[in-house]
Amino acid sequence: MTFGVIGIWIVALGALALCLRRSPVVARRAVVDAGSALWRVLPVMLMALPMAALIAELIPAGWAEAWLGPDSGVVGVVLASLAGGLLPGGPFVAFPLVLGFLKAGAGPAQMVALISGWAILGLHRTLAWELPILGGRFIVLRLLASFTLPVLAGLSAELLLPLFPGATLR
Amino acid sequence: MLRRNATFLVISALTLAAAVAVWVLRGMGAVQHALAATWDLILTVLPSILGGLLLSAALRQLVPPGALARWMGAESGLRGLLVATAAGMVMPGGPVAAFPVVLVLAQAGADRGALIAFVLAWSLNGFQRIVVWELPILGPDFALLRLICGLPLPILAGLFARWLPIRWTPADAPGMQPRHETKP
Repeated sequence: MTFGVIGIWIVALGALALCLRRSPVVARRAVVDAGSALWRVLPVMLMALPMAALIAELIPAGWAEAWLGPDSGVVGVVLASLAGGLLPGGPFVAFPLVLGFLKAGAGPAQMVALISGWAILGLHRTLAWELPILGGRFIVLRLLASFTLPVLAGLSAELLLPLFPGATLR
Repeated sequence: MLRRNATFLVISALTLAAAVAVWVLRGMGAVQHALAATWDLILTVLPSILGGLLLSAALRQLVPPGALARWMGAESGLRGLLVATAAGMVMPGGPVAAFPVVLVLAQAGADRGALIAFVLAWSLNGFQRIVVWELPILGPDFALLRLICGLPLPILAGLFARWLPIRWTPADAPGMQPRHETKP
């Protein structure tokens, strides 16, 4: 995590230095721009962030094994895509959760759908970050263009599964 | 202004409803547990938010409007989507850094298909996330299977987005500061 943050700041300060070389006015405009963007974006983010932790408290234990097993087929893939979309939090929450599901008996193809659903639909990320920065119209366009794709990923994983015997982790 | 306040109110209502649901179903301790986790998350992401917004603002001063139109514009075809997908995969950092970069690309002339492909490539197949999280936790077989299934999706989404009759311009984004106070 810290590695990524340091990387962002190095690049950001580098870009700011380039602005400064062009002229101090340009650099000042960049800082003022960033400040006012923060001012507009922060309130929504602060209200949206607790949602991830709250939803995590609501997930009942044992639902993955019951609904997302290797034999759950297309229904399991669709369910997993939707569940992934509701899955809150960053990779530090999602990947350990998927590992737990796999070990508890969920199917790999269903888990591919779940991760894809989490990455593409990610309701929480959409509300906490995309909405404050890019706005509702962008989200509608993006979701319309991509909401079927997690299912597609899960179904292609089902087809390719025989080539990756280690994916079941059992 | 009204739209931004409406967004804030809707989000607040959703979070409050979730809090009430947790309180009723799981008790007050669970609510406190969730709030403590949120505080940790805020402390973790705040440096990235600040860095990402500063990066976005500085780049928008440097990259002239329309500079990327040839590479990612509406006329860029499949090649534009491939360029956007590759850019998304190498994009480091979390959503707070990546979404402001979308504004930079949009202002520089990337069309909606390329922007959607960029966002999806970053969130699905971001290189950093695969190496740091997916590979160590879920193992090479699963990670490779997932990557192969995810690889074509950003291109498909970009093609869909170009086909859908929904227009989006950077001016629709709340994170975009109008260049001058005079609006047309």
